[in-house]
Amino acid sequence: MMLDTMPTAFLFFAAAIAMFALPKGPIRGAFLLVVPLFAGWQIWNLPAGNLLQVGFFGFELELMRVDKLARVFGLIFTLAAFLGNLYAWHIRDSVQQMATLVYAGSAIGAVFAGDLITLFIYWEGTAMASVFLIWARGTEGAFHTGMRYLIVQIGSGVILLVGTALFYRETGSIEFGLMTLTSAGTWLIFLSFGIKAAFPLLHNWLQDSYPAATITGTVVLATFTTKLAIYALARGYAGTEILIYIGAIMTVFPIFFAEIENDLRRVLAYSLNNQLGFMVVGIGVGSEMAINGAVAHAVAHILYKSLLFMSVGAVMFRTGTSKASELGGLYRTMPRTAIFCLVGAASISAFPLFSGFVTKSLVLDQVAENQYPFIWAVLVFASAGVLSHSGIKIPFFTFFAHDSGLRPKEAPLHMQLAMGFTAALSIYIGVYPAPLYALLPYPVEYVPYTVNHVIASLQLLMFALLAFAVLMRMGIHPPEIRAINLDTDWVYRKFTPSILVMASRGVSVLWTTCAAGINSVLSGTIRQLYRSHGPEGRMARVWPTGSMVLWIAILLAVTLVVNFLS
Amino acid sequence: MENRDENLPFLGRMMTWVDRPGSANKIFWALVVVCIGLFLADFTYKKYGAFAVESIPGFFGFYGFVMFTGLILLSKALRVLIKRPEDYYGDKAVDREEYPAEQCDKVDYDA
Repeated sequence: MMLDTMPTAFLFFAAAIAMFALPKGPIRGAFLLVVPLFAGWQIWNLPAGNLLQVGFFGFELELMRVDKLARVFGLIFTLAAFLGNLYAWHIRDSVQQMATLVYAGSAIGAVFAGDLITLFIYWEGTAMASVFLIWARGTEGAFHTGMRYLIVQIGSGVILLVGTALFYRETGSIEFGLMTLTSAGTWLIFLSFGIKAAFPLLHNWLQDSYPAATITGTVVLATFTTKLAIYALARGYAGTEILIYIGAIMTVFPIFFAEIENDLRRVLAYSLNNQLGFMVVGIGVGSEMAINGAVAHAVAHILYKSLLFMSVGAVMFRTGTSKASELGGLYRTMPRTAIFCLVGAASISAFPLFSGFVTKSLVLDQVAENQYPFIWAVLVFASAGVLSHSGIKIPFFTFFAHDSGLRPKEAPLHMQLAMGFTAALSIYIGVYPAPLYALLPYPVEYVPYTVNHVIASLQLLMFALLAFAVLMRMGIHPPEIRAINLDTDWVYRKFTPSILVMASRGVSVLWTTCAAGINSVLSGTIRQLYRSHGPEGRMARVWPTGSMVLWIAILLAVTLVVNFLS
Repeated sequence: MENRDENLPFLGRMMTWVDRPGSANKIFWALVVVCIGLFLADFTYKKYGAFAVESIPGFFGFYGFVMFTGLILLSKALRVLIKRPEDYYGDKAVDREEYPAEQCDKVDYDA
C-alpha cells in the first residue's frame, strides 16, 4: 500500500507507533506536527469515491468513502490535530501524545467510514483513546471522572452496534447513509449519535469530563468526539425534524448553567454544548443550505472553541487554576493571551468580521426561511446567551474585572503560536468566508455582509453588552464564587449511590428484623418445650418408672384374679 | 504591587488604561452612545426579514437587552437551587483537587 493511498486513519495509527522510535523533545514534537499536515495534504488530494474495500466476515467494509461532507470534516480534524500538537509542544508524556494521534486518527477514520461496522470500530476507538487524555492528569478525581466518561462513551458504541445489527436484519445492508426514524435499529443508532452529540439529558458526560482532562488534553477533546457526532447526524439524519427541537433546547439550557459556573473550562464545556445545538438545528432543518450552515459552523466552532480552551489552558498553565473566583486582572502580564481570548470570544459571539458571524447566520437564515418563528426566537436568544458566558464571562473574569494580584508570565511561545494561528484563522474566515464556503457539501449562495444583517447582529450584541454593563453597575450580575452546580450527573454521582446505600440499609434492617423474629419464635418454642418437658416440667411430675410399676402391679393382680377364678 | 507593575510588558502597560479611575465610566457611556447609534441606524435602511417583528426599529436591540437581563436573573434564581459546596461529591472529585503542579509552569512575569 502506497503512502498516499493509505487510509488517513492508518497514517495516524502508524505514526502513533513510529513515534516511540524518536527521542522525546523537539524531534518528536516536530514529527507530531508533520503527521497531521501530511494527512491534511493527503485528504486535500483525495479523489471522490469509494477508494478502499476490505472483506470482513462476509461483509464488505468501505474504509475510504470520500465526498465533500467527509472531506471538510477530515480537513478540519487534521488542522485541529496540528494545532493541538503545537499547543502541546512542551508535553513529554508519551501516553498523551499517542492518545492524541490515535484519537484524531479514529475520528478521521470514522468520518471516511462508508459502512456502520467501520463506523462502530472507529467510534469505540475515539472513546478508548480519548479517555487517556483525562487519566493523564494523574489524580484520583481524574481517574473516577475518566471511568464515568468511558462508561458513557463505550455505552454509546454498544448502542450503535446493536442498532447496526437490527438495521442489517431489516434492510440487509450495513451502508452508512441517510436513515429515517422508522425502526428500532435507526432509533438506536440515532440515540448512539445523540449521546456523543450531548443531546439534552444525555449531555452531562461532557461538562463532567472536559474540565478534568489535562490542559492540553481538553483542547484536543473539545474538537473530535462531539463534532464526529455532528458529522454522523448530518450524514445519517439530515432533515429529521425532531432534531430542530432537540437542537433548540441544546442551545438554551446550557447557557444558564454556564452563567453561574465557576470553573472556566466547564463554562466552555457548557458553551460547547450550546454551540452544538445550532449545528443540530441546521441538520434538522435539512435543506442544502442548512446542512452547509451546520458544517460551516462546526468548522468555525472547532477553531474558536480550541482557541478559548487554549487561552484558559494557558492561564491554568501559569497559575494552576481555571476557577474564575481565583482569577482576574491577568491582562497586565498575559496581554497576548488576553487578546487571543478576546478574538475567540468575538468569534463565538458572532461579531461581524469574526468566524461565527459568517457561519451561524447560515443556520439562522434557514430556520427563518423555513418558517420556524419560535425556534428562530430561541436561537436569537441563545446567541445573546453565548455572548454572556463565552463572549463576556470568560475574558472579563479572567483577564479584567477585579485584580486577583496574580502576575503570571505570558504563555510559552509555542502556546502563543498555536493561539495566534487559530485566532488568525478565525478572523480570516470571518473577513473572507469564500474559501470555507467553497469546501462545504453544497454550493453556497449566501452573502453574510448585508447592512441588514450586520446592524441586526450588532444591535443584538451591543444591547446585550449594555445589559451586562448595567447589571454589573447595579451589582445584580451574579458574582464568581467557589462552588459547584448540580446537573444530571447528580443522578449517577449522588442520587443512585444514595438510593443504593438506602436500599442496602433497608435490606440490612429487614434482615436483622427477620432474623430476630425467627430467633425469638424458635427460642420461645424451645422455652415452651423445656417448660413442659424439662426436668421441672409438668410432664416430669409423674415419672414414667413409677407409673410402670403401678401398671405392672395392676396387670399382675389382674392375672392373679383371672388365674384364681379359672 | 504598584512598583512591580512598572515593568509590565508593553501591551499590558497599554491596556492598564481600562483600570484607571473613570475609564469604566467612559467605556459605559461609549457603549450607550454606540447603542443609540445602532438604534438610529435602523431608520436609515430598508429592513427585511422572514418575520414581521424584524422590521420594527430596534427590535434586535430590545430583544437582546431584555433577554440578556432575563437570562442573568433566571441564572441567579437557578443558582439558589443548584449551588453546592465544592466538596459535595466527596474527595474523589476534580473540583476539590489542585491541578497537579508538575503539569504547570507557574512563573511570575518578573521572575
